[in-house]
Amino acid sequence: MTFLFYIFAALALVGGIGVVVNRNPVSAAFAMIVSFLGLAALFIQLDAYLVGVLQILVYAGAIMVLFIFIIMLLDVRVEENRRFPFFGALCTGGVAAAFAALLLVVLNRSEVGAATLPALAATEGPGSSDVHRIGELLFSQYWFPIQVVGILLLVATIGVVVLSKKELK
Amino acid sequence: MPVYFLEIIVVSLGIIMLLVDAFVKLEDKRSIAWIGMLGLVVTFGLLFRVQWPESTESPFWNFYTTGDQMALYFKGIAILTTLVVLIMASDYSRIVVDQTAPPEKGAHPQSGLGEFFALPMFACAGLMLMASANHLVSIFVALETVTIAFYVMVAYLRRNVGSLEAGVKYLILGALSTGFLVYGFAWLYGMTGSMQLEEIKTALSGDNVNVIGSLFAFSLILVALAFKVGGAPFHFWIPDVYQGAPTPITAFLSVGSKAAGFIVLLRLIDPFLSSSELVGKIILAVTVIAVLTLIVGNLSALPQQNFKRLLAYSSVAHAGFLLMALACTPTASQAGEFLSPAKVIAFYLGAYLLMTLLAFLVMTTVRVQIPGEDLTSYKGLAKRSPFLAFAMIISMASLAGIPLTAGFFGKFFVFQLAVQQQQWFLLTVGLVGAGAGFYYYLKIAASMFLSEQDPKDDISAIPVGTLSRIAMIVLIALILIGGLNPALIIGLLS
Repeated sequence: MTFLFYIFAALALVGGIGVVVNRNPVSAAFAMIVSFLGLAALFIQLDAYLVGVLQILVYAGAIMVLFIFIIMLLDVRVEENRRFPFFGALCTGGVAAAFAALLLVVLNRSEVGAATLPALAATEGPGSSDVHRIGELLFSQYWFPIQVVGILLLVATIGVVVLSKKELK
Repeated sequence: MPVYFLEIIVVSLGIIMLLVDAFVKLEDKRSIAWIGMLGLVVTFGLLFRVQWPESTESPFWNFYTTGDQMALYFKGIAILTTLVVLIMASDYSRIVVDQTAPPEKGAHPQSGLGEFFALPMFACAGLMLMASANHLVSIFVALETVTIAFYVMVAYLRRNVGSLEAGVKYLILGALSTGFLVYGFAWLYGMTGSMQLEEIKTALSGDNVNVIGSLFAFSLILVALAFKVGGAPFHFWIPDVYQGAPTPITAFLSVGSKAAGFIVLLRLIDPFLSSSELVGKIILAVTVIAVLTLIVGNLSALPQQNFKRLLAYSSVAHAGFLLMALACTPTASQAGEFLSPAKVIAFYLGAYLLMTLLAFLVMTTVRVQIPGEDLTSYKGLAKRSPFLAFAMIISMASLAGIPLTAGFFGKFFVFQLAVQQQQWFLLTVGLVGAGAGFYYYLKIAASMFLSEQDPKDDISAIPVGTLSRIAMIVLIALILIGGLNPALIIGLLS
């Protein structure tokens, strides 16, 4: 199964690079879908079925449709060719390479995966599927963060309304 | 009164302000800010009547600390900051109305102002929650609530390119730092098997610690939090965002966001410091960042000509002093003998709140009359408005750390810690930084008193709103009291 992991990880990465490199916003959005699909497959490989499915339904589905709608409505043109920012690219590349090297060293030497964490305790209640368990956890153990997320969404909604008011000519 | 009522009250106030904005016909929308101010004053009073719960069995207490004086102190900082920010915002409202979109026909001429007063309330609730969070999940949701509110507030002046640019920069870099934070949390969870800080502490202080993995988790978290508090080399966003954001929001960012960043850093570093294998390396990492921050902050502030940029670099410099205190954490055997770094940081942040908010209050008042925020705008202010100039002098003296001000004791305690821990290199850098501080803070004073104003300019006194005047007088008094008797503020911590 490991080779499947590499395939999907590569897919996610290629998609991610596509988002950054593409000058055309629509192509960038499609590259993002590819990346999300790769991610969803990785989640499913980790037995996190619900998260994987949500990744496809919500991110690759709903959010991307919205995204493309907006791009089409706004009539965003292909970004004009700028001079390639050589110095900037060098710095960014350097930092990214250093981080990747650090990650490799850490993963090699830290014996990650030597011990596994205990499985989530089964919860009481009517079902035993992922959806049931996660829902149960969210609204029993984690009810407080959920409330705070509610405030967070309220703030975000206010922000969207405030920042996107119609501009009068 | 249970402690979590405080957050509930602040959130409800925010919602009430939004509803009043939507449904009540108001002549002047600034009255919405008054609801908030009044409510915050009451909430501040309630801080002293908090009762801790007898039973902590509810899952709620997994996410929220109990019996924690430090959390109350930081909640107080959040409330006071928001209060002063609302006072500033109500003075600043003319500029907000000018720089947001013109209202539609028939709408209220001040439409769009109500949210400018309500958003700080939600940010305040988030900051208060951050002070009490003791679970990685609650830390994260609180931090995000605050950050998202800040994204919106920074970009609030929609017709001002500077504000929009600042908003976009803050959004992109903020998202990046959040990524680092979550990745760090994931590693920390992987290393310890828990997201509750006390359980993480138990796991890390045991024998079987995965040193490399834990260090990696810590460095990711440190990067993200250094970004939030403005530690070098993650401070690049600060000058641009501070300059572009509306002035009251800049004040909020530089005090509220920094205070909350430090309480989270204090809480998250604590489990790592309890591990004998990790502690030396952790201290080293913090020391490196502290040294860089002190050098970069103080030296970059020297040539600044824009007042907001100068205060931005000054805020980086102060983050350096705070990190310096953190880098001087005593070993377990010495603890208890001295003022702990946590207390020093709390005191320093309290003093920093007073002096920074005072500087921003003066700046807002001047900005409403004089367009532009260059240091030259302050020429001859002493002749024009002696009171404003006096307030500014007190604030600058305290920021520089001149004796008899609260700022002096802040720096003094930090240096004392460094001497006790024999961190001589850090101490030297800190002293050089403080010396540079004298130059750039007093440069402002000099321009207010020594340089003559252009005779062509308007030299009438700048009007100061009643609330701003009261706030300035209170802040000046507190700075002087803190400078004469620092034990008063430290007493609040225990």
